[in-house]
Amino acid sequence: MKKILLCFVMTLFTVLSVVAQSRTVTGRVTSEDEPEGVPGANILVRGTSLGTVTDMDGRFSLDVPEGRDVLVVSFLGYTTQEVNIGTRTQLDIVIRADVRALGEVVVTAQGIERDERSLGYSVQSVRGDAISQRSEPNVLNSLQGKVAGVTIGAASGAPGASTNINIRGITSFTGNNQPLIVVDGIIFSNDTDNTQNTLFGSQPANRLADIAPENIESINILKGPAASVLYGSRASAGAIIITTKTGRGLEDRTEITVTSSFNLQNPIRLAELQDQYGQGTQSNYVPTVSPSWGPRFGTPGFETVENLQGEIVPYRAYPNHFDQFFQQGRIYQNGVSIASGNIDDNFIVSMNTTNQEGIIPNSRFDRYNVQVGGNKLLNNGVKVGGTVTYVKSFQRNSTSGNAGSPLGQITRIPRSFDLIGRPFQDELGQSIYYTDAQNHPLWSTENEIFESNVDRVFGNINVGYDFTDWLNVSYRITADTYTDRRNQTLRIGSARAPQGELADEALFRSELNGDLLINMHKAGIFFEGLNANLLLGQNLNQRDFQRIGVVGEGLTIPGFDNVSNASVFTNSLELTTRRRLVGHYAQLSLDYREYLFLELSGRVDQSSTLPQQNNAYFYPSAALSFVATDALDIETETLSYIKLRASAARVGRDADPYLLQTLFVSGSYGNNVANINFPLSVGGASIPGFGVSTRIGSMDLTPEFVTSYEVGLNLGFFENRFGLDIAYFNTVSTNQIFNVAISPSTGFDTRTTNIGEMRNRGIEAMLSATIINTPRFRWDANFNFTRIRNEVTAIAPGVTNSNIPGDSFSGIAPSIAVGHPYGVIISTAFPRNAAGELLINPLTGTFAPGVPGQVVANVQPNWLGGLTNNFTFGNFMLSTLIDARIGGELYSFGQVDLRTGGHIDYTGIDRDQPRILPGVIEVEEGVYRPNNIQIPAETYFGAGGLGGLASEGAVFDATAIRLREIALNFTLPSRFLNNTPFGEASIGVSGRNLLFWAPGFPTDPELNTQGAGNIQGMDLNGPPQVRNYGVNLRFTL
Amino acid sequence: MKKLIYILGAVIFTASTGCSDFLDINETPNNPVAVTPNVLLPVAQAGTAFANNNELNRFGSTITSVTAGAGNLPARYDIYNLDGSDFNNQWRFEIYNGALITYEEVINAATEINSPSYIGISKIMKAYTWALTTDVWGDIPYSEALRGEEIVQPRLDSQEEIYMGGEGIQSLFDLVREGLADLDQESLTNPGTDDLVYGGDLERWRRAGYSLMLKMANTISKVRPDEARQIIEEVLTANNYMLSNNDNLSVTFGSAVGSRAPIYEWTYVSIFENDMMISTRFVNRLQQLNDPRLPIFVTRPNGIYVTIDNGFRGTLPQPQDTWSRFSAYATGPGGQGPVRLITYAQTQFILAESALMLGTPGNAQDYYQTGIRASMSLAGLTDEAINAYFLANPTVVTLSGSQEENLEKIITQKYISLFGNGIEQWNDWRRTGYPVLPDHQNVVGIDGTRPVRAQYVNQELERNPNFQIVLPNVPVWWDVTQN
Repeated sequence: MKKILLCFVMTLFTVLSVVAQSRTVTGRVTSEDEPEGVPGANILVRGTSLGTVTDMDGRFSLDVPEGRDVLVVSFLGYTTQEVNIGTRTQLDIVIRADVRALGEVVVTAQGIERDERSLGYSVQSVRGDAISQRSEPNVLNSLQGKVAGVTIGAASGAPGASTNINIRGITSFTGNNQPLIVVDGIIFSNDTDNTQNTLFGSQPANRLADIAPENIESINILKGPAASVLYGSRASAGAIIITTKTGRGLEDRTEITVTSSFNLQNPIRLAELQDQYGQGTQSNYVPTVSPSWGPRFGTPGFETVENLQGEIVPYRAYPNHFDQFFQQGRIYQNGVSIASGNIDDNFIVSMNTTNQEGIIPNSRFDRYNVQVGGNKLLNNGVKVGGTVTYVKSFQRNSTSGNAGSPLGQITRIPRSFDLIGRPFQDELGQSIYYTDAQNHPLWSTENEIFESNVDRVFGNINVGYDFTDWLNVSYRITADTYTDRRNQTLRIGSARAPQGELADEALFRSELNGDLLINMHKAGIFFEGLNANLLLGQNLNQRDFQRIGVVGEGLTIPGFDNVSNASVFTNSLELTTRRRLVGHYAQLSLDYREYLFLELSGRVDQSSTLPQQNNAYFYPSAALSFVATDALDIETETLSYIKLRASAARVGRDADPYLLQTLFVSGSYGNNVANINFPLSVGGASIPGFGVSTRIGSMDLTPEFVTSYEVGLNLGFFENRFGLDIAYFNTVSTNQIFNVAISPSTGFDTRTTNIGEMRNRGIEAMLSATIINTPRFRWDANFNFTRIRNEVTAIAPGVTNSNIPGDSFSGIAPSIAVGHPYGVIISTAFPRNAAGELLINPLTGTFAPGVPGQVVANVQPNWLGGLTNNFTFGNFMLSTLIDARIGGELYSFGQVDLRTGGHIDYTGIDRDQPRILPGVIEVEEGVYRPNNIQIPAETYFGAGGLGGLASEGAVFDATAIRLREIALNFTLPSRFLNNTPFGEASIGVSGRNLLFWAPGFPTDPELNTQGAGNIQGMDLNGPPQVRNYGVNLRFTL
Repeated sequence: MKKLIYILGAVIFTASTGCSDFLDINETPNNPVAVTPNVLLPVAQAGTAFANNNELNRFGSTITSVTAGAGNLPARYDIYNLDGSDFNNQWRFEIYNGALITYEEVINAATEINSPSYIGISKIMKAYTWALTTDVWGDIPYSEALRGEEIVQPRLDSQEEIYMGGEGIQSLFDLVREGLADLDQESLTNPGTDDLVYGGDLERWRRAGYSLMLKMANTISKVRPDEARQIIEEVLTANNYMLSNNDNLSVTFGSAVGSRAPIYEWTYVSIFENDMMISTRFVNRLQQLNDPRLPIFVTRPNGIYVTIDNGFRGTLPQPQDTWSRFSAYATGPGGQGPVRLITYAQTQFILAESALMLGTPGNAQDYYQTGIRASMSLAGLTDEAINAYFLANPTVVTLSGSQEENLEKIITQKYISLFGNGIEQWNDWRRTGYPVLPDHQNVVGIDGTRPVRAQYVNQELERNPNFQIVLPNVPVWWDVTQN
């Protein structure tokens, strides 16, 4: 009856509206701070693009068409208000400052929206506008410095290069330590697929790069196991929940949003170079060597020299060849989205493009996204919804890595070599360089390239129904699948494959999930004030991966990049993995009078990758939240909010597929000195061969477990204008599935087993403040701090260290070592006596023989900090982010090349003066005298002195404080747009990495040539970092 | 409402009970878990060839002044630098996890299908590989090695026990004898092209087995002359050792990318191709002997020998493609090799040395000359050319001096005939002190002396407490004379 009445009234209303005339509404906008009137506030007629802006006295006048009766009043820093005009023509509107809402809604595991106050664990929310239009195509990079407890590092500034992310440290010795990524409920692959040798590869993208930042509504970071337990094993490294934009909030309007941005990108030069000495060794000119230890420029008799090609060329310094080699990159991003609807019925279609020309000649990244999605509440009460997104992305990069790549050459070019002034190839297209063993870098960028073509589709369908007011059942099917077709081309003449080599491969990855969710809610259970929510869930999961490839060598026709051009085929491979998981879970949430919250969860997983008779494992979690201000009613003007929280959780993690058995592998021997691969082609016969794998399998594998305890405190001051969120966590990873290194004389190199323990202890703190809040000016500041102490506490009996799986140079091993943080680098240390003084060889004046097998570098930072400031001034908004990474070390080939080669600036200073290495000389057993042996600069800076590639001398401090991000945005006042089709329009400039201060490294130390993954802190002749800046446009129709 | 709960329950139940099959998918489609001996044997043989012919050969040839280091590791070897970072790939992936474990698997797989011919071949090749390993490193894991998870930290057996046998330790000679016995048994399947050495010719495998006995007896002849004499006499009595160059125990590779002998790769193909060239000393030695093998062994791209002295640290000759390198004799015209592990000439020199030093049957002079002829013939010289050389150089080809002088002649000719097999050249020099090898320039090393063993690889020191550092200046058990 009531309903009918309501309908009647509504109909009447509509009729009234139709007959009503267009009218002029006038009024005034005021606020508590500015009772005399707020100037510059936006007034919009809801459902139209008509609007105006208040004048200096806060007054406005607006023609409201017939049938419209709601005004939307907005002002930056204030809560947007909707005012029903009714029949009024004169309005006084009071707007309220948008006080930091500590009770905000966050998205938690399985997409469940929760009030922040109810959570007993840490979830941090980042709004889409902090990600979009920030001169950065990769979402992960845009998160840098903004989230406590999260470590993010880009591999380099090469287009599409991958970015590593770890939440609350590393929790698995060898498993995937990247968090689970969930996009609109879809488990989303963020794999990097480092199928190339990462020492020499081309930095393929982490696949989260397939997401267009403009589409993102919000990102919620679930930090600990307690937060992510409903996702099970997959999220033991945390989870990142990305929600994309929809038409939900448009209140039946249709909005067309157009975004466009153009950015320039500049490389950060690898070093300043000396300009006094040219090619050669021991002050002699040698035309074929890379060092710049030759004669000083201007030495009589060395005005000109004869180069390798027999030409007479001037002997002089050329400009910094990093500047000559790298080019200015360009990033064009454009997007349009059309959204419409309301909370129940809505749709969105969007298209985004990103086109990037990289800093390395001939490198680029292109991405095209098309998305369609919508939700509908059917007549029978069933809710259906779904989205599907198609992404096409393309990446082209040069090869990188030590020696035989443009980036391996760029750090070794003699100062007297003219990089760009002379032809780099001859008529036959072959490289012309100062040595025949390597290629001119510009030749390499044209002829040694890696390409990746990704076609990706992901989407979901969900169906839900409210059976009663307390029972909801929904089922969701999600799919994410892509193929990545890759080609690595090394044309004829390439240093790594003189006869040419084409490596083609196709990667296929697919993940399917079926999720059943049953949600029951009951208020006032047992007694008044106690509310309960019970969630039951089931997850069926299947993951497929396939990699098929062929390598064709011995090319015939120059420039014909098709494997049919090859005369020999090697390394044909087919790798297929499939794994399945079945999970059942339950979560009981209790809340008492909205100040005491308890959440208990449990999940059982069964995994195909564990021994069949023992493949199920259970893990629980509990979280408690207590809002003391409400419970004890102690809220004061100063102290407005106190919340205490604690949680304990355990998460199991299954093995990778096919680890249980010892296998036979296609036979092969050797490395880049010499190698063979079966089948062997001998005298016309093809001879197949299989040998024993280096690893012994185990039929007794059990899951890994991560157990975590977390306590936290939230405080709000002055009506929550100032907030503090602090957390301490202690995480222990046990039962690690690990290939333990064993004595090679066993016939094997490793053995798979459950061993080891690792601990992460950390403090996260977030301080937020609205420092100034007036209608004219608002200043918000946000500081986050992260300090994580990771320690490997045990590996296996008798094992004190072991390599992290992956590619490494012999003698430079990223490792786990007992008593050290994860990922330390084990290499040759300088020799020291008991007092820690460096030992000098009395015969040579150089260091005594190094000590191999020592921990020489810790790649994990001491602490991280990020300071965001947002200033709102009328229609201008300025946002800055300064972040700091203090401590942690980087292992750098590039800098060693520049030092031992005598290229870097400081090797040119007083070069003729002899030098003395710091250290002592043993006079007799245990008695030392200071070193006083003079050695030439070339020796001092050389491998026997400050150190070569595989030595402690390659370790540098990676501390950096930087202006990570700055964005200035101007929103056009709507009065300018009144007679235009535009609803909103803004223009902005933004820049990233504009300034940095790195006291221990000659260039930007945020580098990791090996890309996203468990090996970090390696600069192995990869591309440098970049700074981006540009303009952004956004308008709606 | 109740109905609904039943339906829900049924859905969950169905989904959960279908699981046992749903999850039974962990059999790898990517690798076999069992294979037949014919795919294992070539991998094992190639492993032995790699052990002899790859990095250890770069070392052996350089340390014996056949080649001189121009860069990277060979430049280190050239000045006697050797430590635990050297040869870890050889120890781990060519020897223990390469050849040796694979022979073990051939034996297992062949036992299952009753094919002792595969077992016999594997035991002979395994003995060869063990001998190579102990000759380079001295005491090594042997009786407890290759047991996988069963013994994760194998103990080391002494070189003496490995060669001579001991408590629970089978001697290498017995291993070969077992292998020879296996060859005589009825075999269900026999190797063909999968045998990279003899293409399945078992008679030649028998000769190889006996010839390996000669080689190993020769190795221990200084420290255990009586046992050595006895074994050589045993072989002579059986009278079935190598008869001609056709019997050479050599592993043949192919000319295609990925199928080529290591020496070809590191001489002509890989990014390390310019790490070494032929030493001036080797060229001088052969020139002094008017040896007609010199132009066959050593390349002259520009018509002249472009070489450097061992330990030379000045500017290298340019351009690099003029350097004198291992010729097709050692590398094969396109990388075929073969990698010669034991040659007919080598067995003749062993018999000559034994006749001279141990008094074993036969005439040292005859064996010596047969050895030279076999080597020259293998190099491609015609009988006329060989005869002409013998006529023109009677002092070279005649054992006319004291016992010591004659030994020097034998080992010097053996050294030349072993061109391309640096490890055997180094073994002979360590055992006899011949040929006389003057110190290289600029030597460093532990104490400036030429290394007489390889240091254990760092990985073993890190992973197996049974290993202790033994420096490269400590002789191995059979090396009882020092120079």
